[in-house]
Amino acid sequence: MSHAKLAEIFNKDEAKVNWHDKALWYVREKRDTAAHNVEGWEYLRDLASGIKANVLSNLDNYLVEFEKNAQQNGIKVHWASNAEEHNKIVYKILTQNNATKVVKSKSMLTEECHLNPYLESKGIEVIDTDLGERIVQLAKEPPSHIVLPAIHKTKEEIDVLFQEHLGTKPSHGDPQYLTNEARKHLRDKFLKADVAITGVNFAIAETGGFVVCTNEGNADMGVHLSKVHIASMGIEKIIPKEEHLGVFLRLLARSATGQPITTYSSHFNKPAPGNAMHIVIVDNGRTEQLSREDFRSSLSCFRCGACMNTCPIYRRSGGYSYNATIPGPIGSILSPGMDMKKHSSLPFASTLCGSCSNVCPVKINIHEQLYKWRQIITKEQKQPLVKKTILKITGMVLAKPKLYAVLGISVRWMLKYAPRFMVYSKLNAWGKSREFPKVENGNFDQWYKNRKNNG
Amino acid sequence: MGTLINGIKTEKIMGRSSILKSIKENKPTLISLPEIDVNSFEETINLVEAFKKNVVSVGGSIKELGQIQDLDPEIKNRYPNAKRIFSQISESALGNVQISEQTKPKDLENLDLAILKGVFGVAENGAIWISDEQFSIRILPFITNDLVLILQKKDLCLHMHHAYKIIANRERTFGLFISGPSKTADIEQCLVIGAQGAMSLTIFLV
Repeated sequence: MSHAKLAEIFNKDEAKVNWHDKALWYVREKRDTAAHNVEGWEYLRDLASGIKANVLSNLDNYLVEFEKNAQQNGIKVHWASNAEEHNKIVYKILTQNNATKVVKSKSMLTEECHLNPYLESKGIEVIDTDLGERIVQLAKEPPSHIVLPAIHKTKEEIDVLFQEHLGTKPSHGDPQYLTNEARKHLRDKFLKADVAITGVNFAIAETGGFVVCTNEGNADMGVHLSKVHIASMGIEKIIPKEEHLGVFLRLLARSATGQPITTYSSHFNKPAPGNAMHIVIVDNGRTEQLSREDFRSSLSCFRCGACMNTCPIYRRSGGYSYNATIPGPIGSILSPGMDMKKHSSLPFASTLCGSCSNVCPVKINIHEQLYKWRQIITKEQKQPLVKKTILKITGMVLAKPKLYAVLGISVRWMLKYAPRFMVYSKLNAWGKSREFPKVENGNFDQWYKNRKNNG
Repeated sequence: MGTLINGIKTEKIMGRSSILKSIKENKPTLISLPEIDVNSFEETINLVEAFKKNVVSVGGSIKELGQIQDLDPEIKNRYPNAKRIFSQISESALGNVQISEQTKPKDLENLDLAILKGVFGVAENGAIWISDEQFSIRILPFITNDLVLILQKKDLCLHMHHAYKIIANRERTFGLFISGPSKTADIEQCLVIGAQGAMSLTIFLV
């Protein structure tokens, strides 16, 4: 289904859409306040963008450097070309450790690889331990936002969900009570887990270490209570030096939620004595994206979600309308690279207002890349007849000023005197849920000429 | 490419070599790495005041102590119900839980309070650096119900660029910046303090 169709479903509940819109805009405003409090914020963004550009141009060498240093520190490094290889490697580590219970902190990569269903099909229990992710896991849904996975759910819905799965009492959706019950439930899972899986926010070539950021402490609770830690990372998570963390950690939480830093920024360099630490480095289409000159900078993304919070389309259509692991503006330039046919409607789910590019902490030109994808997709894929014809006619009219003037007069006449069923016909997609403004006499051209004559 | 004697090993090498080969073919020409000009981030602000303000903004509590002898009464006052307490610093006599090499992470399941030394604080975000050297078992600052960190007032830096200079020559095992207590806003964006890690964080500045 196209983005527009799925957005239509989300828009059936207008009150919920309005809440969703406002909640995300509030996060965007918090981001602004946090950014304005930092001396040299724009320079910080320039640095981040420059460092990531260097990374992409030297990625193979940084990965080899990272591998060497990580191995020297006793970390085992694995490489996976695609999702299937990634899942097999993880499962192999689990079987080697006779593990049947896994706790997992947030990792969009494991979502992308569909690790949970794979492991579950092998009889492994996988518990997502981030509260938002646990909520959507219990609801058997994917996350709808990369930082706020359950942003589409009301507290009353979560209340019912917890009653069913965790045996909680009805609380009218009391967040304090529900969070505390989830804490008890997850505590038990942490204590019983054999292996902990985490994502990676940043991997440092120079030291072979990596950093995992959470607010809840769930990644650390999992890792330090288990004997084995598996961290999955996309190849693009590499940064050259540890000092670059200064740049990225200053940007990440401020861009994501408006916090100055996440509660926990854990730096893993060596496994604890007697424990094992594994890193799985995953390609899964990333090197292909690297080959596309116009789109490769999308690999600089470090998943803060700022572009989603600011996007007028995302806020009003919801994460599920994108039908992709990474929704929103950044997802709409990443996903067509993975499967252009499936995701062909996504680059059109934008007003091209450029707000995403303005807030992106690594300065990815997201809206320009959306525009570029449109050009490719329009060439390679059949477009709907109505859209094609209308655009063709529009192009013709705009190229001929005289025709434009005549048509302007007739359209204004139509809007004034034509019956409603003609004006709001099927051809007028814009008018589906909107009213045209009232037509006054004259047009801009006439007004301008009169103004000149009068004054 | 390795021989096929060990199928798994060969598969591993395939992934690695094909990824690296693909990057080599697809990457753009080398773009130079920018130098960080730390001067662009300098501000003349009161580090102690900025730090205190940010600790509160991230949900933590902070108190300046006139003298270190006030520490234990202050802790007792703030955590009157704490029974099982681990203290890693000699200035506090409240510790009654021992941690040895035999201690397993799960043994700390019911720990009420941990009292640790913070290495240094970061004014811009209220974060404190602690590492393996401050706590003998990694789960400690997360599994404890409440966490107390003692920090020297002189050990504050302005921002994260300074912070990474300070820890540049550490022994790299495990360490973290910790900023406030664990928290979540995953239920309708309502901030709830106390998620999976410590329920509260109190910092005593001496």
